[in-house]
Amino acid sequence: MNNLTIRILVGTTLLAGASGVWGADHVFDAGFDHRSEGPYSSGDAQRFLTQATLGPSMARIANLESIGFNAWFSQQLAAPASHHRPYLEAREAAGDDVYQNIRQEAWFQFAIQAPDQLRQRVAFALSEILVVSDQSGAIEGEPIPMAQYYDLLVDGAFGNYRNLLEQVTLSPVMGHYLSMFKNRKPDPEENIRPDENYAREIMQLFSIGLVQLNQNGTVITSGGQPVPTYNQDTIRGFAHVFTGWNWANCPSSQPMQWWEFEYCPPGPVDWPDPGWDAYWLEPMESYDDFHASEESKQLLIYPGVSLAGGILPAGGTAQTDLQAALDNIFNHPNVAPFIAQHLIKRLVTSNPSPAYVGRVATMFNNNGSGVRGDLAATVRAVLMDSEARTVQPLASNSGKLREPLLRLTQLWRAFDGRADDGRFREWYIYYYFAQAPLSSPTVFNFFLPSYQPPGELSTLGLIAPEFQITTDTTVASVANILADKVFWAWRGNDDVGPEDIVVDLEPELALANDPARLVDRYDLLLMGHTMSNSMYNTLVTYLQSLPASDNDERRQRVQEAIWLIQSSPEYSIER
Amino acid sequence: MKRRDFIQRALCATASSAMFSSFAGKLSIAHAAASPRYLLGTGYRALVCVYLYGGNDAFNMMVPTSTAGYAQYQEARGDLAIPQASLLALNPASPPTGGGTFGMTPAMPLLRNLFNQTQSPLAIASNVGALLYPITKAEYQAGSVPTPAQLFSHSDQSVVWQQTRADAPDRRGWGGRLADMFYASNTNQQLSMNISIDGENVFQAGDEVIPYFVGQGGAEGIWYVEPWQADRRAAFIALRDAAHGNALQRQFASVVRRSMNNQVMVNGALEGETPLTTTFPDTHLGRQLQMVARLIHVRNTLQMQRQIFFVGLGGFDTHDNQLADQAEQLTELDGALAAFYAATSEMGVANGVTTFTASEFGRTTSINGDGTDHGWGSHHLILGGAVNGRRIYGRPPDLSVGGPDDADWGQIIPTTSVDQYAATIARWYGVSPGDMSTVFPNIGRFATPDLGFMGAP
Repeated sequence: MNNLTIRILVGTTLLAGASGVWGADHVFDAGFDHRSEGPYSSGDAQRFLTQATLGPSMARIANLESIGFNAWFSQQLAAPASHHRPYLEAREAAGDDVYQNIRQEAWFQFAIQAPDQLRQRVAFALSEILVVSDQSGAIEGEPIPMAQYYDLLVDGAFGNYRNLLEQVTLSPVMGHYLSMFKNRKPDPEENIRPDENYAREIMQLFSIGLVQLNQNGTVITSGGQPVPTYNQDTIRGFAHVFTGWNWANCPSSQPMQWWEFEYCPPGPVDWPDPGWDAYWLEPMESYDDFHASEESKQLLIYPGVSLAGGILPAGGTAQTDLQAALDNIFNHPNVAPFIAQHLIKRLVTSNPSPAYVGRVATMFNNNGSGVRGDLAATVRAVLMDSEARTVQPLASNSGKLREPLLRLTQLWRAFDGRADDGRFREWYIYYYFAQAPLSSPTVFNFFLPSYQPPGELSTLGLIAPEFQITTDTTVASVANILADKVFWAWRGNDDVGPEDIVVDLEPELALANDPARLVDRYDLLLMGHTMSNSMYNTLVTYLQSLPASDNDERRQRVQEAIWLIQSSPEYSIER
Repeated sequence: MKRRDFIQRALCATASSAMFSSFAGKLSIAHAAASPRYLLGTGYRALVCVYLYGGNDAFNMMVPTSTAGYAQYQEARGDLAIPQASLLALNPASPPTGGGTFGMTPAMPLLRNLFNQTQSPLAIASNVGALLYPITKAEYQAGSVPTPAQLFSHSDQSVVWQQTRADAPDRRGWGGRLADMFYASNTNQQLSMNISIDGENVFQAGDEVIPYFVGQGGAEGIWYVEPWQADRRAAFIALRDAAHGNALQRQFASVVRRSMNNQVMVNGALEGETPLTTTFPDTHLGRQLQMVARLIHVRNTLQMQRQIFFVGLGGFDTHDNQLADQAEQLTELDGALAAFYAATSEMGVANGVTTFTASEFGRTTSINGDGTDHGWGSHHLILGGAVNGRRIYGRPPDLSVGGPDDADWGQIIPTTSVDQYAATIARWYGVSPGDMSTVFPNIGRFATPDLGFMGAP
């Protein structure tokens, strides 16, 4: 009971100490000489690692407290990128059939174990913005090229957004997913005109959105109505830009014949080396005979646009038109608030203040050295903002619903989840989570960034994208899978095999005789010291009611504590 | 314990009928407080929305077969045209507005037969699309009559189709608005009258009625807090129902609460069901519609008199490889719809269940090589015992390139609005003429609010 009393006192002190971060939970942090930039408490270190990585552990919390944010960022920015494609190729070389399951396995492997955690976390966020999906028939049979697409995001996480947009645009995976691949110039005789798919989505979803934004992310209106960013003429203009792209190294006469364009093969003819489909792994190349060069193209119009009237004159090549068009998009004033909002929502909170969005957008517009689109600087601005670094009051309704995938990675990283054979065969998680890496039902991601659930949140005008996949069915299936992972899949259980990913609960048993200290530990490890006294007391009382006379019973207490926390409303809303 | 045993043990504890009866007591109390106000028509009524994600190319589903009509189609579609000889002839009781003869894609033989039979339960609404006002080509090109924003965008048009209020932002779908109007007439006030077998959708979102999601195998419970695990369950519920200070926490708690209560109720009812003899195809849509049929089968146990269901099938965004891909999708649609209609007949509720298709847009008559792009108007199917079948409603469009119905780039200007299509269904469902403009605020802009494909309420 002693600890219960202390806990309540701590809570009272926290309420009294309004200035927040350097609060009373520092009581628990004795022994750390905190860096001046922070984190100032173990709770903040945990919260930061929840936002910036695939999940904290006690050791990582202690390490961050010890080295401070600056050194942590330096290490993360310098860490070599962990690429997913080589993992799939190694499995193939080892004789495995490589389908999308192995790509998902690779994702979990790197999510749980890669040292470049910030990079992997940002890549995951980007994969929910620059969406491609194995649910599309066009790419479902291409796990290795899809892993390479993911690696573009891994490499692009700290790069420049303009460069990332170009690489994504020229990826054959995106080319197939949004059908820019083999998109041809108009042929009125055949009634063929350029495909508008990529033209539309690169603007709507990847860069500027449908309506004009202020730099703080609020919508610009005219007469009470949002002002659109583009119209059908613009879409047609970009559709013409994105013509003439095909596999690398197409055999071609002079001029290229239509059948050479249409039937260009995905790899060199002298297969099997390097492979009949090798060009899935090369950027698409342009073939000007099939590029719509003759037409001038209406691109975006905005203040300061470098093309007069937003018009790209006729006569360009596929390559020069592409460069001009991507520059035209990238320099639109919407890009900074659009990307800032996306990244904040993926990493920190669903309803950022306009000021927070504005601060991040400012960094996107200029990283301090005159560079626009620096994602490393932008991500750092997202994570180090005072609104991210301070626990906001409950009544501010800040925070976000944890995505199912991130709940699972947090569990495994907190309790050293791994299989004896070292692999992560988590192949069918979509069925339970309505979410799996690069597996969204549509290009609009698993949830819309603007989604508002019906009911109270809607009335309050709050956005909560992750609720779109939080249905009566998935709240149950997510809770069940997480329970399975804790109650059944633990190291030492006689029923698990070498392929089962198991958590290590052995180090937890020592505290199981003392439920108050056990819950304290998980309040930090899983919730960054945001647990309410009411929740704390409910858990401690329940755990105390369970026997703890041997290791099986002590383990049961640990399992109960972890699962009840992970399935609770307080944990579910990451603050 | 093996993993499977563990799950099995948990499953054994789900939803006994004893648990269900404890809910029945609460239901009758809730019912006493509710006053059924809208009750045109008698007996059970259900709507089933079959959403075709991606924009179904219905111009390759129902194809003109007259010499002139097919020639227009063939010229527009080139290599994507279905050969005339393989089309399955439709024999409507009378020719549609504007005349002409039509055939069904060879991928849909079962629905073709339903269409052609006497007492046919299948009607086709031609060239339906999102409109704010009736509009001609000249008006469209001059920009003199407003149209919905972002006409050819998936996300926007799927919302317009499900809301029918393109010029007045509304989070609710028209199925949700109907539910807000009708839910009080259900004896059971705990289970949502809107059930989706395909997860989240705009169509079913109401203000008061929040859709309930059921999986293809039934409602999933949380196995680790079944009543036999009383102590853990008590702790779980205490954490769930605490006074949460943050609205997102409250929202999460409410989803969990609803899920747990409804799972017990729904699975308890399904458990007591006498199986249907109708067999369904083992496809994504077949399994979804089978679950709808099973839920309708236990409607008396669940004490539901009015329901709205949502199912969905993806893969219609045929920018590429359309001929092969779309045929596969339409075959799945054909088999699942035919089985579902047979099941409603088996249950004796065919006259109370109306199934209809929706899809964000049709596709361009022009082609982009081996596929088509986002279009506008499109044909749709209405199936059920109360449908005035064997007819094609509305004027089928001129498919010729640059013709009078071609907006510009092969997008066909709708000759019927989604509002009319939906209002015709809603009228049969029981919305009185006086209430129609509440559900469909724009319906007064169109000359024919009732297209006539449904029987009397």
